[in-house]
Amino acid sequence: MNPLALKVRNLTIINTGNAGSKAIVNRLDFNLEKGEVLALVGESGCGKTKTAEAIMGLLPTSHWKVTADKIELNGTVCSASPPAVTRKYRGSEVSMIFQEPLTALDPVFSCGYQISSVYRRHLGSNRRQAHRLAITMLEQVGFADPERIFRSYPHQLSGGMRQRVMIAMAMSCRPAVLIADEPTTALDVTTQAQVLEQMIQLGREYNTAILLITHDLGVVAQYADRVMVMLNGEIVESADVADLFERPQHACTHELLSFAARMGD
Amino acid sequence: MEAASQILRRLSISRSGLMGLVIVSIFFLMALGVWVGLLGQNWSAANGERWAVPNATWWFGTNQLGQDIFERAVFSVQTAFEIGIVVSVLSTALGATLGAVAGWRSNTWIDGTVVWLAGVLDSIPFYLFVAAVAYALQGVPWAMHVAMIATFWTATGRLVRAEVMKIKTREFVLSARAIGLPGFRILLRHVLPNTMHILLIQTSITFVAAIKTEVILSFLGLGVQDGVSWGLMLAESTQEVLAGHFNNFLAASVMLFMLLMGFNLLSDALQDTFDPKQAAL
Repeated sequence: MNPLALKVRNLTIINTGNAGSKAIVNRLDFNLEKGEVLALVGESGCGKTKTAEAIMGLLPTSHWKVTADKIELNGTVCSASPPAVTRKYRGSEVSMIFQEPLTALDPVFSCGYQISSVYRRHLGSNRRQAHRLAITMLEQVGFADPERIFRSYPHQLSGGMRQRVMIAMAMSCRPAVLIADEPTTALDVTTQAQVLEQMIQLGREYNTAILLITHDLGVVAQYADRVMVMLNGEIVESADVADLFERPQHACTHELLSFAARMGD
Repeated sequence: MEAASQILRRLSISRSGLMGLVIVSIFFLMALGVWVGLLGQNWSAANGERWAVPNATWWFGTNQLGQDIFERAVFSVQTAFEIGIVVSVLSTALGATLGAVAGWRSNTWIDGTVVWLAGVLDSIPFYLFVAAVAYALQGVPWAMHVAMIATFWTATGRLVRAEVMKIKTREFVLSARAIGLPGFRILLRHVLPNTMHILLIQTSITFVAAIKTEVILSFLGLGVQDGVSWGLMLAESTQEVLAGHFNNFLAASVMLFMLLMGFNLLSDALQDTFDPKQAAL
């Protein structure tokens, strides 16, 4: 068995909003091995995104209570209160790609500036080094003219290009874990395939484990190694991708699969 | 710099904006001329005949004391620019800082305090407040500036607070946190730059408001103490107009009108230029 990139034990997320406390995610356990692609699937509102945000420490404490026995990154315990990956590791060891690539990039700075800021923050690079590294990274995600992309502002790029910029930014420090929260939902189908291909390939190259949050079972079948099915904040089934598609155990999985099959007709 | 030239180009498309820019530039050069000592240096010398009509020596005529009205009007440009720049920059900076902090920490006691303070300041009648400050700071030449900064920041503060509250829920703030930036740095590097359009427009609005207010305050005797300003010239003219001498009155009001109009044209055009709906490319 590969060493673990991310180990989560007993993760509970409680919404402490005005309507009283409500558990969104209940006692979640999972492992993410180095270099694997783990898909997290489930219907909307089942807590997939909240799980990712809790691990990243992005949930505001004013509305959310997060508890966990353990969140381990590369075998090191990330102790923080609330339990989450501490800031030092965000962007360097764990990074995240968001669903909507237009709003996830700051409109007033060029893409290159935003990518190089990661290098300047985590590697302490100076402007020249960061520029060079960012250009290399943009080449890595398949841009033929990285200098132009470097100077471009987010609104000047198409959705697919923006998402590749996001991938470049997320992968810039060769993280151990990449959390991709429905990275291609906002893109059209042909672009989707390109962007995912790029991301998976880069993940393999850097030995980055990818937690792929999606509700698209086609994507899961094509790219994931393992699948976790989530329902109402709990993981109801976890299996290798082939097993899951051949022998689904849980009723919810059956349902998801039958929907996917019907859509495919 | 690329962006600056782009803005200039877009600005030059609008004819009225360009006219505003030209007027403001001329006035700015005049102020600069006074600062470096080339223009308006003899504003206080009373060496002409009393109430001379405009002629080759006295372009705008002279006043009751035989002072050159042209020199006084030109020197007043510097007075106006000085107060405009000081008040607009400082009040916008203060409003941006307080508004950003309040918006970033919305629904906390910090936010509550800032909003309460703005509410209190807004509820005091402005000229009463300025008179109180001027009285409290008697003899301090900055009394008028302090009073204006203390009241002008509230509008900027409210706008920035609302904008920050909107921006901080945007995904790029989340993604800035996801790459490990600390909160304060996100506010400074990613949230505040996104309010820049508000800050620029507010600066140009408060610049105009400060000049107008300075004239009114000086007219009432609460403003400029040492020096001359259009407000003081208008105050002088109250006695002259009845005697049929309009030179002081015309010089001060036409100059004031030109500058304010130029600035309004310019800030209108700037507003259009920075409008994200028009600036798609």
